[in-house]
Parts: sequence; structure tokens; C-alpha cells
Amino acid sequence: MDPGKLLLFTVGGLSTAAYLFIVSAGLSLVFGALRIINMAHGSLYMIAAFVTVAGAGAMGADLGFWAGMVAAVAVTGAVGALIEVTVLRRVYGQEHLVQLLGTFAITLIVAGAVRLVFGPGFRSMKPPALVNGSVSIAGYEYSIYSFFTIGVAVLIAAGIWLLLYRTPLGRNIRAAVSDPELLRASGVNVALLYTSVFVIGAALAGLGGVIVAPSQSVSPTMDTEVLVLAFAISVIGGLGSILGAVVGAVIVGEVISFGTVNPFLNQFALAFVFIVMAAVLTIRPWGLFGKPEQ
Amino acid sequence: MIAFFRRSAPWAAAATVAVLVAAACGGTSGGGGGGATTFKGTKKVGISVALTGQSQSYGQSIRNGLMLAADDINAKGGVNGYKIDLDVLDDGTDANRTADNVRQLILQDNVVALIGPVTTAQCQAASPLSKQNKVLLIAATCNAYQLTAQPQYVNPYYVSVVPNTFMEGAAAAQLAAKTGAKRVFIVSPKYLFGTSETNAFVAGLKKFAPGTQIVNDPATWYVPFVPTGITNWSPTINAIQSLKPDLVYSNVFAADQVNFIKAALQVDPKFFDKYPTETLASVDEFKTLGSSYPIGMRLYMRAPFFALTNSRMTDFVNRYRSKYGEYPSDWAVMDYDALQVWAQAAARAGSFDSDKVHSQIVGHSFQSLRGYSFTIRAADQQANVGETVGTTVDSGGKYPFPVLKDSTNLKGDDLIMPANIVEELRSGKCDFAKEAAGIAAFTTCPSWPK
Repeated sequence: MDPGKLLLFTVGGLSTAAYLFIVSAGLSLVFGALRIINMAHGSLYMIAAFVTVAGAGAMGADLGFWAGMVAAVAVTGAVGALIEVTVLRRVYGQEHLVQLLGTFAITLIVAGAVRLVFGPGFRSMKPPALVNGSVSIAGYEYSIYSFFTIGVAVLIAAGIWLLLYRTPLGRNIRAAVSDPELLRASGVNVALLYTSVFVIGAALAGLGGVIVAPSQSVSPTMDTEVLVLAFAISVIGGLGSILGAVVGAVIVGEVISFGTVNPFLNQFALAFVFIVMAAVLTIRPWGLFGKPEQ
Repeated sequence: MIAFFRRSAPWAAAATVAVLVAAACGGTSGGGGGGATTFKGTKKVGISVALTGQSQSYGQSIRNGLMLAADDINAKGGVNGYKIDLDVLDDGTDANRTADNVRQLILQDNVVALIGPVTTAQCQAASPLSKQNKVLLIAATCNAYQLTAQPQYVNPYYVSVVPNTFMEGAAAAQLAAKTGAKRVFIVSPKYLFGTSETNAFVAGLKKFAPGTQIVNDPATWYVPFVPTGITNWSPTINAIQSLKPDLVYSNVFAADQVNFIKAALQVDPKFFDKYPTETLASVDEFKTLGSSYPIGMRLYMRAPFFALTNSRMTDFVNRYRSKYGEYPSDWAVMDYDALQVWAQAAARAGSFDSDKVHSQIVGHSFQSLRGYSFTIRAADQQANVGETVGTTVDSGGKYPFPVLKDSTNLKGDDLIMPANIVEELRSGKCDFAKEAAGIAAFTTCPSWPK
């Protein structure tokens, strides 16, 4: 494969990895701090995508996208807070099965609500003018929006790292992962901390939905589609590990991208992702970059 | 379910309409006779169709076409004195829901006939139930030739009034051969329709353009077919760019085609100039994309109203627009025909019994909105309906979407599968397992020219 083609498929894989990372990072962050596998994570992603498309429909692609981004992140953050306060606080510390069922119930409610509000069909929108258009590199055309997506993902990754390792909130989150009881004893409002973490995770899911809206179609089943991949990515990378989410997303994105020209990968692209996940679970159940649960 | 009620027009207007209808029909309308129509009762015709999901635009057009056909049939006194009521259920472009719907239509709603769903996957689900319960199923959209020729699918109560994948593959190959393309890239949905039509296209290429090379590996021809459509077309677009074909051959349709075109134009506004594309299309994709539908696309279409001009079609288009505020798609045209076929046959049979109606369909000819009459042959209960091919051009403001330049209406008789091949397919003399390896089963039949 010549370097131009290699770059084409690598960038294609990275742009897919970018939105998958944003969504997976939220899922992973929530699990790392709260030990909750949030099945409603895909629902928050879907809500944001529909809000963005609706914003673009009402205000045009330009203003609608940017306004939709703010609105969608705010809406998903608010919905996240509502979920954490009304549902999750009742299932912390319980078996994962109870948590799974609780958050799965939310996915069903949201799926019905989205169909009711936005209808059952698919929708789409154009990217805003600032990041619309194409650019030619080494004889191949690239959508500027794909670079924008990658750029946003890099910023998000850097932002999460700064949040976790350079802010008091991040220090508390890491402390909560290690020993929430000690943290509570030292005077930190752990309940508020948990709500904050869940809101951040929900907002990341929302941001993923916003970013994906101009490049893919938005449909009422996109919640489960992304959740399956985000879950696989989080397991491969290690639930709770942001670096793991980066690595997992890149693996999945590149397998999908190169699969269109590689007969083997094409046949086994999705299976390959889950084979890797199964292998990781067998050899290193806490994921490539995760830590074993205490 | 959508029920159709008689209009509550004033008595005088109803009488005037009835007199005009009677005059137009020369007094031969069934059941109702002259004057205000009095029906003996209602008979339901069922359809499980995609009103949501990947094929929702097709499903809505189908429902509209059928509603207009039912109105016309009832305005002429219904069938055998009965008013025809459509029983429409949404399957969400999901074959599992199709099976549930068809079961309900047959066992609970007691429909007297079924009109076929949108996709081949859904017809695969509906056909065994039609066969088991002896209820006629008239397919006007789903079209894998296997549905009427592969022993495991053959259903004596299944009739096809749509050009099947054998016919479309041949039409598409002829169109591709005319472009002179030497390097072809294939993209197709991964289910029976996609493999069937693609393999027929490849077989056609060997006949009409023997030197043509397919640039992508058969294992990479197919993209998943999911009820809500594919969301991410970026990998396929990159694959096309990397392989630089002379021609992209596609039979992705409905939401998938719309999203593919949008995504490709986002990557490169001149994508379809650089990579000339030939695809199955319908007026529905035109309506969805409007003037954004690329110019210069080589299309094969089943029944585009603008290329099949005749007085009946003009009248149909005008009435359709008046009722729905939009132009009818190919699917509306063909499903209108499908219900008319059943109604005429039931009237001739003087019965709703599937066997008696079937005997009035197979071997008989019917006038189509498409401007010709077609015959449903006994060999595979397939109509010799045609296909329209051409290249998109701006309609010059006549329509809010492109039309076809220099369109050709290929005749069904020139496209239809030879009867001896049908016989060999049905009697198990050909290898259907080869389809998975990219080889059309009909090319493995003993009588197929090697």
C-alpha cells in the first residue's frame, strides 16, 4: 500500500476512532469513578445528536451546529444529573446486574421518548461552514470535518487528562476511585462528586453525539450501535482508563477503515473487535490499561 | 391499520361522480353498478411495509400508490361488489417484524391477498406464510429472482410484477458496458437482494463487456444492511478513492444511497465527476436529495414516471400530486399496478379464493401505468416488465429534481430469464451455493451458455 493510501485509511480510521473515543471516554470515566456500567450512555449520545440536528433544522447548519453543541451538552449533562440523582444513587454498591437493569430501563424510556419527539426516521445535517469542505493530500480528498473530529477528540483527551491530574476535582475523582470512604471522612461531598463525574460522562456522550451528527445519519437506533462499540473499546482499553479508551478506539476505528479494502478484515471486522475483547478479558480482565478492581 | 372511508360528499355530487364513473367504465364496473355505490361488504388487502427505518421513503410511496389504487377500484364499484380496504402495517424495514405483521394480517385480519413488502429480506419472511396459508402475495418492490426460482423459496401463491434481479443485473451490465469502463468498483447491501443483483450484474458484464476488471475483492463488495441504514460511509468512500475505478457500480438504495451520496459529496464535491457512478435509483432518492442529487449519474430505474409518459401515467401523476402534494415514485407506480392486477383478476374470477384469482393472473396480460401491457408467465409467475436506463441531467426547472437524459426503456422480454433456465433452477439442476462466492446460480445451470 502506497503512503498516500495508507494515510487515507489511517485518517479514515482515526476519524471513526475520534467520536468512538469521546463516547467511550465518558463510559470509562463513569465506570472508573462510580463503578457503574451505564447502559444509558448511548441514549445520551443519541439525545445530543437529535438536539443538534433539530438545532440545525431550526437555525441552519452554521448557527445550529454551534448552538446545538452548547444545547446538546447542556441537555445531556442535565439529563445525566437527573439520572444520577434519581436512579444511580439507589444502586451504588449493589450488584452490577442491578445497575445494568436500572440503566437499561433508562435506555428504553429514552428510546421511546426520542421516537415520540423526533419521529422514527433518520435525519442528517451538513457540517458548519467553518469546518465544511474538502482538502486534497497526496492525491486523495479528505473531508475537513474528519480532521475537525480528530482535533476535538485530541482536545477532549487532553482536557480529561488535565481535569484528572491537574485539578482539585480530578484529585478527588482519583481519590474516590481508590477509597471513597476515606475521601468522605476527609470532608469531601462524595455524593456531589459522583454527580459531577456522571454529568461529565454524560456531557462526553453528548459531545460525541454532536460531533457525529454532521458526518453520519442520525437515527433512533444509534444508541445501541454506539454502545456496543464503546463498551468493547472500554473493555479492551480497561474500564476506567482514558488511555485505554484512546487505544481501544484507535484499534476499532482502524479495523473498520482498513476492512473495506482488506478481504480478511472486511469479513471479520466486527468479530475481530469482539475476539480482541474476549482475549483481553481472558488474559487481562481489567483491560490493557485498566487496574484490577480492589 | 389505515382504513379508507367513503367521502362524505353531498348526495348530488356523489350521484354525479357515480354517473361519470359509470360512463367512463362503459357500464362494466363490478359490483356496484350505476348510481351511488352500495357495497356488499369490505374485503381487506394486507401489506406489511416499511413506513419507518431504512426504506421508509419507499414504504410511504408504496402506501400512497396503493391508497390511490384502492380509491380508483372502489370508485368503480370495488371488486365483486365488495369495497377494498387496505390493511397497512409498518415493519420498520425489519424482516422479523414483517413475519409478525403478515401473520397478523392473515390470521387475525383475514386479508384476501397480500401486496409484497419493500425488501427481499422482508419478502423472504412473508412468502412462506403466504404459501402456508394459501394467500396470494403480489410483489411489486422486492425482487431477488431466487424468490421465484430457488426451490426453497418457490411459492405458488407468489407473483412478481417488478423486474427481478436477473433482469436488473442484465440492464445494469448493458448500461455499464456502454460507458466503456474497464475498472469497476462494486458496493452492495449484504443480503439476498444485494448478492443476487450484484452476481447477475457481474454475469452480465462477462457477456456485454468481457474485458472489464472488478477492482475490489468480492469479500469487500458488500456493506451491512441494517433496518435503520448505514451511518458511516467514510470507509467505502476511501476505498473508492484508493482503487480509482472508472465506474462505481452500486445497488444500495433508499436511506443508504442518500447517505452515501451526502457523505461522498462532503469528502469531495466533485466525487461523482471523478468516480462516475452507476446505481439502482428511484424517484424517491431524487425527491429526498432534490437538486443535490448528482448530475451525470448512470441510473437504472424500475418505473420513473417522467420517462414513461402516456395518458394514463399523466392522469395518475396529476391525481397523485393533487392528493399527496408530491410526485409519485417508481414504487407508487408499481404498487398501483399490483393492486390493479389483483383486483382485475379477482373480478374475472368472480371470487376472492386465492387459487381462482391466481388462475386469472398467471398467463394473463395486464395494462400497466408504465404504458405497456405485461404478461405474467407460468414458468416463474414473473411479469415481463421493463427497466429504464439513462443519465441524470438537470430537469430545467420542470421538476424539483433531476431527470434522465436520453433514457431508454428496456423491454421486459429482452431482459427476462429464459424459461429453460427457470425450469433448471426450480428443479435443482443449478448450484445456488455458488452465489456466496460471487457466482450467479443461473450461470451454473446446464443450459446457460458457457
